[in-house]
Amino acid sequence: MTLYHGLALSGIVFSIGVYGVLTRRNVLGILMSIELMFNAANIALVVFNRYLHPGNLWGQGFVLFVITVAAAEAVVGLSLVLAIYRNLKSVYTENMNLLHG
Amino acid sequence: MSHLPSLVFYAMSAALILTAIGVVTMRSVFYSAVSLVAALTVVAGLFLLYGADFLGAAQVLVYIGGIMIIMLFVVMLSQRPHDSMERQTNDQWFRALCLALVIGISLVRGFRIFINQMVSTVVPVPTSASLGRLLLGDMLLPFETVSLILLAALVGAVLFGQDKKS
Repeated sequence: MTLYHGLALSGIVFSIGVYGVLTRRNVLGILMSIELMFNAANIALVVFNRYLHPGNLWGQGFVLFVITVAAAEAVVGLSLVLAIYRNLKSVYTENMNLLHG
Repeated sequence: MSHLPSLVFYAMSAALILTAIGVVTMRSVFYSAVSLVAALTVVAGLFLLYGADFLGAAQVLVYIGGIMIIMLFVVMLSQRPHDSMERQTNDQWFRALCLALVIGISLVRGFRIFINQMVSTVVPVPTSASLGRLLLGDMLLPFETVSLILLAALVGAVLFGQDKKS
């Protein structure tokens, strides 16, 4: 359990999230993969804070803001998904190719 | 006893990678949401392991208690009976796998510059009090700005959520 191990874990989880964003057909699956990528970045921030700057807490404060903005993003994104589902009766991305419903 | 944190870290890493793979590969969106709940719980445990106790609590409260509940609601509201028979990945999965592998390998190799980094061996102390002082001190401007973002998200969610016909 060193600095490098935490960062490698964060990189692996981030690439899994990238794979999910690129391959999922379902919008909800894409949103979940984005949450996974946020968490990978958060792990990296906390690990840097723990091992390189243990005296101050700017890394952890930044993670708090990431969590807050992720909550806002999820709320708006999910209400958009519900609005699109009400119009198109589908949550698959290949059906969402028109800007006006 | 000194090996105990390392063992916990490796067990948590394995659990996190397995649940993350579950999130992106599960056929049913509901199962992948449940897998994401497990992954977020493991991340909260990792925060605790790295001495960020307030962040672990915030992760459980905000992510698992808030975001994932909304997400499960939307998953259940937007599911149709024949969804479980359909393919859940698109045609580009092999190229996406190659790109994700390239990104992952280059990230992990790029982080190798930190292998010989001098790290501090200070034992972490509980951070809630000093984090609160930081948020209302040096970070006051972003702290107030993020409340505006939350308000805008609230209004936006109500706006998009209402039915146009009513």
